[in-house]
Amino acid sequence: MNSKIKRIAVNVGSGFVPGLNAVILGAALAGGKLGWDLVGIRDGFEGLLYPERYPDGGMVSLNPQRIENLDPAAGGILGQSPRTDPFHVRRLNEDDMVEEVDMSDHLLERLRSEQIDGVISIIGGRGLSIFYKLQRKGLNTVCIPRSIENDIAATSVSFGFNSALSFTIEMLDRVRQAAQSARQIGVVEVLGREAGWLALQAGIAVCADAVLVPEIPCDLSLVAERLQKKITPRRPYALVVAAEGTHFSDDLPVNKPSSTLKASLAPLATDITGDNIIEPSGRVAQTVANKLQLLMAEDTHALALGPWVKGGTPTAVDRQLGLLYGAGAIRALNAGQDGVMVAFNPPDMEFVPLDEAINKTRTVPTKSEFIQIARSLDICLGREL
Amino acid sequence: MMTAHSSELTGTVLNIQRFCSHDGPGIRTTVFLKGCSLRCKWCSNPESIHPKPELAYDVTKCSGVKACGLCLKSPFPAGAFYFLPSSDDDRIRINWDLALDCDEATISLCPTDALYMFGELMTVGQVMNEVEKDSAFYRSSGGGLTLSGGECLLQSDFSAALLEGAHKRGFNTAIETAGNMPWSFMEKVLPHVDTMLHDHKLTVAERHKKWTGVANKRILENFKRAYNTFPNTKFIARTPLIPGVNTDEEHIRAVLAFIRPHKNVTEYELLPYHRFGLGKYTLLGELYELKDFTAPSAEVVEAFQAMINEAFGRSG
Repeated sequence: MNSKIKRIAVNVGSGFVPGLNAVILGAALAGGKLGWDLVGIRDGFEGLLYPERYPDGGMVSLNPQRIENLDPAAGGILGQSPRTDPFHVRRLNEDDMVEEVDMSDHLLERLRSEQIDGVISIIGGRGLSIFYKLQRKGLNTVCIPRSIENDIAATSVSFGFNSALSFTIEMLDRVRQAAQSARQIGVVEVLGREAGWLALQAGIAVCADAVLVPEIPCDLSLVAERLQKKITPRRPYALVVAAEGTHFSDDLPVNKPSSTLKASLAPLATDITGDNIIEPSGRVAQTVANKLQLLMAEDTHALALGPWVKGGTPTAVDRQLGLLYGAGAIRALNAGQDGVMVAFNPPDMEFVPLDEAINKTRTVPTKSEFIQIARSLDICLGREL
Repeated sequence: MMTAHSSELTGTVLNIQRFCSHDGPGIRTTVFLKGCSLRCKWCSNPESIHPKPELAYDVTKCSGVKACGLCLKSPFPAGAFYFLPSSDDDRIRINWDLALDCDEATISLCPTDALYMFGELMTVGQVMNEVEKDSAFYRSSGGGLTLSGGECLLQSDFSAALLEGAHKRGFNTAIETAGNMPWSFMEKVLPHVDTMLHDHKLTVAERHKKWTGVANKRILENFKRAYNTFPNTKFIARTPLIPGVNTDEEHIRAVLAFIRPHKNVTEYELLPYHRFGLGKYTLLGELYELKDFTAPSAEVVEAFQAMINEAFGRSG
């Protein structure tokens, strides 16, 4: 056992993902078995930075009594904050003016004063970079990847994805029924700015007629042609699933930047060209629906599922993954690991250095099995491959 | 003319825009200063928020990793710049959480200027040299210098020196301000201002704090004090109309009740929200919040304008 460790803190980055309690429970049970004292930081880092705001001082003990009734299917007991970057903390200064200040040193000092020997952080892609910086400043940390879009590199599956996938499939089934009764083409936009896993796997599950993903630039004329062949008097409808990061080879407005300025964005928010980074949810669905309606003699209906898929209770898979990741983080700390992300590449659990996990995105390879399966099912992918 | 001392004062300038016609009378040069004390969730000038020069990236100028790749090596911070080997596009991408540690000297090593800094330190003399280039137009049109931002009054010494310099050259002067600063800042600058365009964003203090980051008590105190202390200055009240935030009649009525007792508040302008800032957020990464607002309808703007016309005794 790692004798240097006695007290571990757990915190959760911004953005809800089903299964957070399962991770916390996994870490608390595994840490408790080693005799370690586990505490949770409330609301990202706010419990540590602003303890005066909390009756319990901003830290929650994750002792056996506390966690014995913790429901792994419920939401996160630690809470979350919309901003969890200690390098840019927004506050009012003494002159009542808003400013962003670097509170990373203060945060590390607070962790020391609380005698925290290591931090397990449940975070998304951008959070990995922030913890990479904190680790370089001396924080002993192990990160757990969570991603609705399953786009974090170095791990086959982030927890949260399976729950989002299940909900997306349920919604697509409903849209298909609605499209069938209305004799329309249903166009559904799902999350996936850079990676099309959610669109592709959900689209396969419901046997959609077309699936559009960011990795494959889409020719809507081809999609229209394929849909026209599939729509018959006996089957007078179609279902199209499009990831929000879909690109078009046609000259469509969605391809054009909203200003003359072009740029790149933070990881996981950057598209291939750097254009059209911040777009209102639903723009891709509307663009596809409008264009198909122009190319075909069919009604279309656009719908964006948007961030709703992030809510809800975790699936059985995510409950297991959450417990696995939580226990895995404890195993990493016990093995003396520092500055790593727990990765699950079945059947193995691995510990990947943070600098190997940042600045990468797990996208859908165009030769992947999922692409082959979709093609076998006669799902149009927007381009002949 | 300006003293040698004041002409050497430095400030952080975001941009100098010539031939402007909406920020005061006549043809004007608008100098945008960096730094703001609010965080309005609809901000259309996010590059003006931070007080210091900051990194920006123009992807169209990047020559790609195969041709260049300088920023992947020291002295650029490790992990700050990267590219995706799986992508057809080998132009660099930015990890903003790591790249913001870059200093100006490092950024200047980018051979194509794809990496550059928003904002630069300039002296009063340097700015005035730019402003003077259009002096002939100011004289013929009654125009001059406008200071905007960000919040130009946060750099109060620099602003006062610029406006004083403009006055000495016979140029008309104007500022755009949101009013959230200690009174001493405003008091220092206003003696050199002909027209002050000032924002009344929301009326209810809690809602003002929700949408801008601060309550409006001091802002309103500053405005009232300015109206009374500088009776010869022309004041123009403005409201950026953001649907769902302040497109309510109560707000317009409250602003009218606040300004109408003061004869030197000569106009109340409505600024329908536009989305010009959307692309600019992409240049700066995700440090700033952005909420997806839409523009107000023409009917709403017309109805409010009618209320203003009535209050000012105009037939509309």
